[in-house]
Amino acid sequence: MGFEEVDHTADHALNIVGKDLKELFISAAEGMTYLMIAHTANISEDIARTVTLEAIDTEILLVEWLSELAYLAEDEMLVFKNFRIHQISSNHLDAEVIGGTVAALEKLIKAVTYHNLKIMKTQRGLEATIVFDV
Amino acid sequence: MVAKHDFKQLDEHLFEVPAAFRSDMRVPARFYSDAELLKGIITDNSLQQLINTATLPGVVKYALAMPDIHQGYGFPIGGVVATELPDGVISPGGVGYDINCGVRLLATHLDHEEIRPFVDDLATVLYTNCPSGVGKGGSIKLKARELDQVLSKGARWAVKNGFGTEVDLERTEESGCLDGANPEKVSSRARDRGLKQVGTLGAGNHFIELDTVETVLDPEVARRIGLFEGQIAVQIHCGSRGLGHQVCGDYVRRFQKSISRYGLKLPDRELVCAPLSSPQGQDYLAAMKAAANYAFANRQVLAFHIRRSFEQVLAGKVSNHHIFQIYDIAHNMAKVETHRIDGKDMQLCVHRKGATRAFGPGSAELPTAYRDIGQPVLVPGSMGTASWVLVGTPESMAQTFGSTCHGAGRTMSRKKARKNIRGITLREDLENRGIQIRAGSMPGLAEEAPAAYKDVDRVVNVVHSAGIAKKVARLKPIAVIKG
Repeated sequence: MGFEEVDHTADHALNIVGKDLKELFISAAEGMTYLMIAHTANISEDIARTVTLEAIDTEILLVEWLSELAYLAEDEMLVFKNFRIHQISSNHLDAEVIGGTVAALEKLIKAVTYHNLKIMKTQRGLEATIVFDV
Repeated sequence: MVAKHDFKQLDEHLFEVPAAFRSDMRVPARFYSDAELLKGIITDNSLQQLINTATLPGVVKYALAMPDIHQGYGFPIGGVVATELPDGVISPGGVGYDINCGVRLLATHLDHEEIRPFVDDLATVLYTNCPSGVGKGGSIKLKARELDQVLSKGARWAVKNGFGTEVDLERTEESGCLDGANPEKVSSRARDRGLKQVGTLGAGNHFIELDTVETVLDPEVARRIGLFEGQIAVQIHCGSRGLGHQVCGDYVRRFQKSISRYGLKLPDRELVCAPLSSPQGQDYLAAMKAAANYAFANRQVLAFHIRRSFEQVLAGKVSNHHIFQIYDIAHNMAKVETHRIDGKDMQLCVHRKGATRAFGPGSAELPTAYRDIGQPVLVPGSMGTASWVLVGTPESMAQTFGSTCHGAGRTMSRKKARKNIRGITLREDLENRGIQIRAGSMPGLAEEAPAAYKDVDRVVNVVHSAGIAKKVARLKPIAVIKG
């Protein structure tokens, strides 16, 4: 599991880790899905969506990626468990996400914030902490 | 982390981190507290966040935080920052994603005894009639041109369409409509999110609460605004829903691109901002006002659903089931206001992020009926404890840009609350104490447990003693409706 929930007084925060950018982004998506619906095993895999994003830097790309998934969750009650990132660079992402609709979400992610967001190289690969407004 | 030796105590309830503490601070950072609240404040990053806001270009006098301060993102929650026009900045993160999250207080002609047999039914019908929870749409599906009206006219749109009265508007901050809103500055995705959510509560810490007025501290002011001991009142706490979240997100992203143009260096990307006079600043202000108007309309439609619920359950069974409005206020907003600074009137952009406007007596912005007593301030406490009605004071105008606290303020992380508290047990405890609970999510309920919050009485004592608001009445919950 490439994410861990960390204490945050008002909202939610996740530490995410991945050996490269692709894995980091997948960890982030899995972590946010966990916040929205704890029992991810119950998510079906009958709907696929394409996500293509451009951004001026990697942190913005990460926020955009998660924001897109949070939007689909609120708008269509659509959550994903399989994240296939076909192409990723510091400013471009091309992915297919697979999941299904759920009857209810446990948590509304109002927004993915930029608060102290910095993707850093560590011994484990790439790491970041993301704060979610809930 | 900021330590005790980094700040000094200016008086009993006011503390200051001097501007010399960090080279990028433009002004000191001040916060209101008492010794007990201080123990919690220094355990998270809220003071660091407050200090960060003291670096914003154009900040005037000091960056402020109210005693309900706690760690948020960018600004601390409880933060108040005023920047000077025309070139001081406006920061979307200084308003927050839930633009014009706020509180509306409605009151009845009933006392607790009269409705005691009906509270259970009332809670159930309120839960049914007021859509709540993640992704829940409302009974109103707007067409695009109707949404334009909501964004331009706010609660006025709702009243025009039969969801309230002119008196409701008089007793709403800005009469429920911010001038200068521009729907064209709201993205198509934000608009899409707004089409089906007007009149919905949402999730998180939002709620509808049935209260009794437990104690009146200022009988004259209470009488003037329409409160009496034993009375049943209703609070609505919610904001601009997905539309507001999207507007904030859109502009935080857009400002990340434009920040280098203005040569701004910031300690946190979430503080991203633009000069208010710039095209980016003006666009955000116009979009923020549109989202704020959506929130005013949202609370107005919810008030309609509450009136409908009271009629459904109580008509013919009690002496008078009608509801009237006490006040409606925002606690996530940036507003251009005139304040007297060092003997001179200045136009400022006052960011209140988890802080409430608290204009004192004589303010031209207040409704005629309240102008000589000051603006009602609504301070919801945590579920199961108490809420307060206060009024603004001359001191709030002099000390805090006409601002005061907005709630109890969290003290325990959501993660810890979920781990330590079981939603079902909490619901039983509250029901044993005579508080009916209707909630869609038990883990969500646990996160909002009273133990996760500061003592609201203590927070209110600080603002009262500091003079930046005055106690009027204390409310006690009898039913809570949550998403």
